[in-house]
Amino acid sequence: MVSTCLTAPKLSAPTLQTLCRNLPLTLPSSTLYSFSRLLSPSTSRFRHHHVPLQRRCLFSTRSKSGNDAEPLRDYDFDLFTIGAGSGGVRASRFAANFGASVAVCELPFSTISSETTGGVGGTCVLRGCVPKKLMVYASKYSHEFHESNGFGWKYDTKPKHDWSTLVANKNAELQRLTGIYKNILNNAGVTLIEGRGKIVDPHTVDVDGKLYTARHILISVGGRPFIPEIPGSEYAIDSDAALDLSTKPEKVAIVGGGYIALEFAGIFNGLKSEVHVFIRQKKVLRGFDEEIRDFVGDQMSLRGIEFHTEEAPQAIVKSADGSLSLTTNKGTVEGFSHIMFATGRRPNTKNLGLESVGVKTNKNGAIEVDEYSRTTVPSIWAVGDVTDRINLTPVALMEGGALAKTLFQNEPTKPDYRAIPSAVFSQPPIGQVGLTEEQAIKEHGDIDVYTANFRPLKATLSGLPDRVFMKLIVCARTNKVLGLHMCGEDSAEIVQGFAVAVKAGLTKVDFDATVGIHPTSAEEFVTMRTPTRKIRQSPAAEGKMGVEANAAGV
Amino acid sequence: MARKMLVDEGMSQTNQEEAHYDFDLFVIGAGSGGVRAARFSANFGAKVGICELPFHPISSEVIGGVGGTCVIRGCVPKKILVYGAAFGGELEDARNYGWELNEKLNFNWKKLLHKKTDEIIRLNGIYKRLLSNAGVKLFEGEGKIVGPNEVEVTQLDGTKLSYSAKHILIATGSRAHRPPIPGQELGITSDEALSLEDLPKRAVIFGGGYIAVEFASIWRGLGADVDLFFRRELPLRGFDDEMRAVVARNLEARGINLHAQTNLTELIKTDNGIKVITDHGVELEADVVLFATGRLPNSKRLNLEAVGVELDNTGAVKVDEYSRTNISSIWAVGDVTNRMNLTPVALMEGTCFAKTAFGGESSKPDYSSIPCAVFSIPPLSVVGLSEEQAIEKANSDVLVFTSTFNPMKNTISGRQEKTVMKLVVDSETDKVLGASMCGPDAPEIMQGIAVALKCGATKAQFDSTVGIHPSAAEEFVTMRSVSRRITVRGKPKTNL
Repeated sequence: MVSTCLTAPKLSAPTLQTLCRNLPLTLPSSTLYSFSRLLSPSTSRFRHHHVPLQRRCLFSTRSKSGNDAEPLRDYDFDLFTIGAGSGGVRASRFAANFGASVAVCELPFSTISSETTGGVGGTCVLRGCVPKKLMVYASKYSHEFHESNGFGWKYDTKPKHDWSTLVANKNAELQRLTGIYKNILNNAGVTLIEGRGKIVDPHTVDVDGKLYTARHILISVGGRPFIPEIPGSEYAIDSDAALDLSTKPEKVAIVGGGYIALEFAGIFNGLKSEVHVFIRQKKVLRGFDEEIRDFVGDQMSLRGIEFHTEEAPQAIVKSADGSLSLTTNKGTVEGFSHIMFATGRRPNTKNLGLESVGVKTNKNGAIEVDEYSRTTVPSIWAVGDVTDRINLTPVALMEGGALAKTLFQNEPTKPDYRAIPSAVFSQPPIGQVGLTEEQAIKEHGDIDVYTANFRPLKATLSGLPDRVFMKLIVCARTNKVLGLHMCGEDSAEIVQGFAVAVKAGLTKVDFDATVGIHPTSAEEFVTMRTPTRKIRQSPAAEGKMGVEANAAGV
Repeated sequence: MARKMLVDEGMSQTNQEEAHYDFDLFVIGAGSGGVRAARFSANFGAKVGICELPFHPISSEVIGGVGGTCVIRGCVPKKILVYGAAFGGELEDARNYGWELNEKLNFNWKKLLHKKTDEIIRLNGIYKRLLSNAGVKLFEGEGKIVGPNEVEVTQLDGTKLSYSAKHILIATGSRAHRPPIPGQELGITSDEALSLEDLPKRAVIFGGGYIAVEFASIWRGLGADVDLFFRRELPLRGFDDEMRAVVARNLEARGINLHAQTNLTELIKTDNGIKVITDHGVELEADVVLFATGRLPNSKRLNLEAVGVELDNTGAVKVDEYSRTNISSIWAVGDVTNRMNLTPVALMEGTCFAKTAFGGESSKPDYSSIPCAVFSIPPLSVVGLSEEQAIEKANSDVLVFTSTFNPMKNTISGRQEKTVMKLVVDSETDKVLGASMCGPDAPEIMQGIAVALKCGATKAQFDSTVGIHPSAAEEFVTMRSVSRRITVRGKPKTNL
């Protein structure tokens, strides 16, 4: 009986992503609602210290058979989560669906994060994925206006962008989303507490002076942008602020070559700012496939972004007219209205009381966890960016989901980090899954590389210099597709389906057996017949060494 | 090089028996299937000739062009017009993102038409080059079969060439046809619709298939008033019923007038255009009436009766699993065989033919899990079974997962249009039997899903894939809740 009840809501709980987009709100499902009522008849009057008897019994039974053999103690909650971002909300909600009594605390809402501000929804919803993507949509139109000219559309007056309309509409959407997330928690029967959570002992959290006890504590406080200390760094803005500027930056410097830097470069460029990107390396996007790095840099330059390579920032000076100049190891560029640093993010682990309870952090401040997301203190767990594993929303969701199963469904579950796809919403965007060519050579030795670099149908009409680059990396021994990379329109959408195939360990033969969808860009991934190069480590294999070039067949 | 390979590998049979033929292969029709078969056969070492009618955007008995329907009168020009038309909605959506545009946007149809024609002329040239680079000899003219190993090509100036060939491949494709109603000559087909001098202000479309739906979207996106008439309750017969309803809803929301279960009965010329009369007694006036009521195989003028190549009752050339007709030296691929009329399928058939005839590897085209797309605005794309098909074929219960959501872009643009996605899963094997999506980027998204389906991926494998956030596609890997379970009755499990 109990187990039936426990599994039912899993099926009826819509995903977070769905809810983000599901407008108007379509939750809760009746099953979920009746389930939470069943376990907690007094949901509306629910207080953390009145744990319903049924639920507590349920859990004491479970935990005895679980791996903690600790004596039964009376806790306010089965789970107390600090931080209601992607990972925290997912873990809390799922834990509640599995029958746990759950509370989550989160800082008050603000578009700019700090030691005292945050908001339900977290980075993804308020200061990351969502507002960023909305800005990308807005900025992409200027490219579309150009494209549309080639298709016969004409503008009597040049389209002008009104910054304040965008920011107002974007912020209204964020307010709506934070409300949706609160509803999600509420509907799942999770108690939401506004305030700053601090761990007092392995089973106690202090939120602004009030103490709460919990069988398990989850830290999911995320990360924040980090700006290195250089003279004048107080004039720089980070990505939080860049998403919430009140006026259009006329001329902006972006320091950094990672995905955040590139995404903002595209946004500001599309919204008609003059954009300069300063990177320490020779190329953007360290860690990505080398060919993708070259390709995206070229395409972004063609759209008007100026890259300053191998330049490290040394100082920012504010001049009398209010404009900023950026000095690097190579010289000084003047006249910036804004200087944005996209120089990395740091885990929010300060002032959480971690040292006092003995939760270990690494040198970057990230919480050390085992494969089940357990910290060095057995009752304390951590998921998401605060653990600095792979800092992506869907990964935090996976970690949160796995943790809820581990703790409250008697099903120890490790997050699976293999073949996690990801996207960069630069313009053009990048999608990728699996290994880069460089990683593949290191791990597998002999590989075949298939590439396509073509002008998409749309560009032949628009006359713009847009191109698409695609790449498949195949293990020469097993024929498995090890990596798949793309830069060009719709990359992020295209790669998702292929990620299922790569994750499932499918081979190049499987790709070839799939019929194309014509005319699309994506069909190119199933029509790559001739390897661009075969890389062989051992002279014995095929009797030749190094790279064998080959013209790709049309 | 090609000739050398001919001697070197695998062609000994050809050499000893039929060295007297002019060609190893003669292909009639240089569209997707014909060009593919010709090139690949040549790459396998065969000596190949191909004939094609002279180029023109509008096809007829005597007009065609290298590249065929796909390049000249189908996929490519259609997609170009869809791109052009999609800007109509895009530009509206830009306003809430802060872009200030003129109230009335100008669109220059002639410019788009001109650029479209330039592009297909360019592609026509590329296809010719592909053939010549592969060593295939191209003849311009109409091909006829005069014997099991004999082809006659009537050139533009009327002179006739005659060639013998070990194998003959028919790849003449198909053409749009008009229903036999009074005044049908006033209507046009998709050929003309892709090359209209003027953009219609009032367009009537008769048909419920993908071509009808695509043109409805194109003209509507470019600002025309569009009335779409079709015989069934919903457009797109053969697709998943739920998705058909989604498409119908989207077309209506974009301002297209749908007239279900309605036939056109007569067209009458008037001073201002064409009067359209339906079997419901409705009358309306249009500038253009498009018949998108099906296509018929181009098999009439090939002289097939003379050699005894069998046709079915639609005029399609009958072939076996290897694309061979009842005459062992004559083969056929693509739309002329009316199997699955899609460019990539014709390519597959052409490739398999070349392997079978010249590659020393008997090769059957595989028709399972072929994805396809309808480029309506927004588009529909599917792979595998529809819910109805899955239920019909299932031996165990069918699980249906659906997701209906407002795409993120619409949260600010204010466009009221939901994206719908669907997975149909076998409850016993956990295999994903079918996937469909209607919404922006659906065709691009579906291609990768198609790889997974083709290889029998399970729902568990979908679920174990991490999403790409924020995308629409991630919804396919985050569908946790089953929307409904369809119990298959009357099919007792054999193993119980």
